[in-house]
Amino acid sequence: MKRAVVAIGAFVLCTSMTAAMPAPAGAENPVIIAVVNDQSKVYADLSGQGTVAAVHMAVEDYGGAVLGRSIKVLSVDHQNDPALGANKAHELYEQDHVDAIFDVPTSSVALAVAGVAGADHKILFVTTGGTDALNMGQCNKYTFHYGYDTYALAQNTGKLITEQGGKRWYMITANYAFGQSMLANFSNAVKSAGGEVIHNDMVPFPNTDFSSYLINAQAMNPQVIGLMNAGDDTVNAMKQINEFGIKKRMEVGIGLLFESDIAALGPDYWSGSTITVGSYWNLDDKTRAWAARYKKRTGKMPTWVMMGNYSAVTQYLDAVARAKTDDADAVVKQLEGYKFEDVFARHAYIRAQDHLLIHDMYVAKIKPASQVKEPYDFLQIVKTVPGEDSYRPLSAVTCHL
Amino acid sequence: MIARAAALDRRIALALALGALALGLLLPHVLYVGLATDIVIWALFAAAFDLLLGYTGLLSFGHAMFFGGASYVAGLLILRAHWSFFPAVAAAVLAATAIAALVGAIAIRRQGIYFAMITLAFGQMLYFLANQFGDWTGGQDGLQNVQRPTLIAGIRLDNDTLLYYIALAAAVLGVASVLRVVNSPFGRVLSAIRENEPRATSLGYRTSAYKLVAFVLSGALAGLAGALFVIAHRFTSLDTLDWHTSGEVVIMTVLGGIGTVFGPLFGAPFYLIINDRLSTLTTSPGLVLGIIFIIVVSVFRRGMIGELVYALRRRRHVEHVAPGA
Amino acid sequence: MGAGYLALQIFNGLVSGAYFALLSLGLAIIFGMMRIVNFAHGAMYMLGAFGAYLAAKYLGLPFWWALVLAPVAVGLLGALFERTLIRRLMPLDPLYNLLLTFGLALVIEDFMKLFFGTQGTPYAMPAGLSGVIDLGITVYPIYRLAVIAISTLVCLAVWFAIEKTPLGAKIRAATENPQLTEAFGIDVSRLTTFVFAFGVGLAGLAGVLAAPTTNVTPVMGSDIIITTFAVVVIGGMGSIKGSIFTGFIVGIIAALGAVLYPPIANTLIFLLMAAVLIVRPTGLFGAPEGQR
Repeated sequence: MKRAVVAIGAFVLCTSMTAAMPAPAGAENPVIIAVVNDQSKVYADLSGQGTVAAVHMAVEDYGGAVLGRSIKVLSVDHQNDPALGANKAHELYEQDHVDAIFDVPTSSVALAVAGVAGADHKILFVTTGGTDALNMGQCNKYTFHYGYDTYALAQNTGKLITEQGGKRWYMITANYAFGQSMLANFSNAVKSAGGEVIHNDMVPFPNTDFSSYLINAQAMNPQVIGLMNAGDDTVNAMKQINEFGIKKRMEVGIGLLFESDIAALGPDYWSGSTITVGSYWNLDDKTRAWAARYKKRTGKMPTWVMMGNYSAVTQYLDAVARAKTDDADAVVKQLEGYKFEDVFARHAYIRAQDHLLIHDMYVAKIKPASQVKEPYDFLQIVKTVPGEDSYRPLSAVTCHL
Repeated sequence: MIARAAALDRRIALALALGALALGLLLPHVLYVGLATDIVIWALFAAAFDLLLGYTGLLSFGHAMFFGGASYVAGLLILRAHWSFFPAVAAAVLAATAIAALVGAIAIRRQGIYFAMITLAFGQMLYFLANQFGDWTGGQDGLQNVQRPTLIAGIRLDNDTLLYYIALAAAVLGVASVLRVVNSPFGRVLSAIRENEPRATSLGYRTSAYKLVAFVLSGALAGLAGALFVIAHRFTSLDTLDWHTSGEVVIMTVLGGIGTVFGPLFGAPFYLIINDRLSTLTTSPGLVLGIIFIIVVSVFRRGMIGELVYALRRRRHVEHVAPGA
Repeated sequence: MGAGYLALQIFNGLVSGAYFALLSLGLAIIFGMMRIVNFAHGAMYMLGAFGAYLAAKYLGLPFWWALVLAPVAVGLLGALFERTLIRRLMPLDPLYNLLLTFGLALVIEDFMKLFFGTQGTPYAMPAGLSGVIDLGITVYPIYRLAVIAISTLVCLAVWFAIEKTPLGAKIRAATENPQLTEAFGIDVSRLTTFVFAFGVGLAGLAGVLAAPTTNVTPVMGSDIIITTFAVVVIGGMGSIKGSIFTGFIVGIIAALGAVLYPPIANTLIFLLMAAVLIVRPTGLFGAPEGQR
């Protein structure tokens, strides 16, 4: 009997734990925002709890209140599971009265949560998720794509490398929507700059062993190896590119790379490669001051998507203040077309037609370890590209809001 | 042999059935309706799984292929062909049945650990195939924006609470059919095979045919759960086909109690509620759930309901032997 | 692409084969003695890689030391699990230990995430092996040649130890008939612990070998275990020889698939498994059901 009591007791405990959970929205009626991101799987270091800290910072910097109401921050780990992410998003919007959700890495989860935001008529800012389906085929009135997309990466990285003489590209592409859209955008950018794609390998995703493709690539003697993948796949590919000694003989064009990926191998594995970022902590005095405050708070250096989330929250709160209400439709109206400038977004505005943040992007070269002076001091910015030149022109936008 | 509680006492079974039903009717009032719907779907999935594990002793580590496979079939039919609820669900269940028959015909030739590994590998094969045919399945992005189908002419399933009760009804039907199978002559042959396969063979039963039928039935009901999943969520993704999904249903069944039919109905909410709450409380859900699972496998092997039934029966046995003692 | 390149690709397949062989050999040894399948094998592989990383970072030990010490450490941890958890379930259906080790894998993975995050930890190529060698048609990393050599040597040594040495004879005897072996004064219980530790130690060794070429993260073992299971099913569980041979063969086939039609690379191993199961349900080297 004792064993049964323990077993049943555990069940009751857990169920009652749940019953006790939902906190009633108090009399003071706060404005509630929530971070929904990966805090336990592959993107946890890229964004995860670091973004939660940055969002708290944004709220504090804003004074902790808007429209005379306090601001509450919730956070959910979506575990890279779209079902969990969408469920929690729906629960946050409908039951916890959350006004806006932020971050949402991983294409499948970002798109699922965007679907919920559209259905529930509540606001969503996707920062870490980069798929351009968010601002193209699957755009909706309540979803904002805030940070970067594959088009902007290609337009900057692909074009610059080709213009500097890297004409013949050998592509290694992760065979999923994100990789495919990156391949399409990079191929266009390379061609328009006078280069050519001599071969493409559609590699299953995820993948850890790239040696077969690297042997192939060497045989075809390209000038650039283009890595059209992200995260762990890019890290593994780069580790093996170094192993094969390829980095000494040809350029590596990396589609998408974050500070946390560089740290995973150490800068020497990446040095000399060109990447595009939406911001960088060591850009100027403003970003350095922000990063110093962030480091004091968390003990760590920020990735640029954490700065992006800080900015997204700040701009959202500002829009609420301008709208004089947290009603989603009114706030959307305030955000559309709004021109602004903050620590993250420069010469920035939110394009009304596709809800994409248009802002300056930065092309950077990765420094060797010998030039790295402090933690996360990985990048040498070589070019600042205005948002208008980085992002898809208005004429190519297919989104109907 | 995986141990299970012997056939349930009729009174206990009735009490558990009423308890599960009461829980089902109560859930949307104490929990968020999205989570409640998930619980009902997974409870059905786990009960279907228990039909195989508990009553044939076959541990499948690839049941995600029926759940996920059916979710894609139903999702595609609704998204691309605008099928309504019943035809889409029926087609998805048929698809799961077909997959189960195909895989079962190969896998059933081995048992025990081999069977577990073979089903695991087949499940992963389907995952990779779905990943590969991204034009159809949406690949890593998943199958998004699947609008809720119409139930019957004119009534769309847009209301979440209505959908919950539809799912509950489907789950009740599913679990009832599991019970029906388990308590039929067919079920008794399954039990006989489980206890002693050579003996059942010598009695003239074609044991592999019986096991295959159980496998296919289990797969079909898992498919029903999968079809409900895509309708409830308005999307499906590769995660439904991933081997972790197969692992999750194993965990729920073991937590609830193998071979009890009712156990999984309690194991599923236990697992899902904890996982849901952990997503806001900790960043290590696997650590907590893994430790609970290890403790259950090591110490409380009968699972929550199994231990309860066992304790009740033992107490009654004691009373019977020494009345008034 | 010329014949020379194709030959090189096939040769390159031996490298992934080297990992599969070590992993499935470890599984086969454990299965042979204990009749259980260790679901935590991938986690042990991951711990081996982290062992190498920790040895370099905190003890300053080079790769060669890690190659010996990390598998031993992983083996000791395995012995601990065997003594405290797995042993208790040995009298029951082996499926319980499959479930238990499945839970262990979840716990180990998340435990490591608590300390090392998920982005990966840097582990450099060992100094003496970092270059490339000119094979005439193209250059090839020396380290990959070393992986093939080390794995082949270890596999052969293990096979020899089990078939030809007194210790191997004891293990084989205990596998055939534990009671009788016990009666001859051999401590089967300690032998079992040793065998389990040794099996997971091989997984740890594979992990150390992988550390210089793959991103070292807590999740690196969670998918390789599935592929290894497929390898084991293709080879047939019982055979030591079979697991080694199948490991290398599957590596080559996967490499060829990756070259000829990349999208199929992942699926190919599982298609191969299905084909083998239809023709030979017991696997290529497996004994018929009755004898197992």
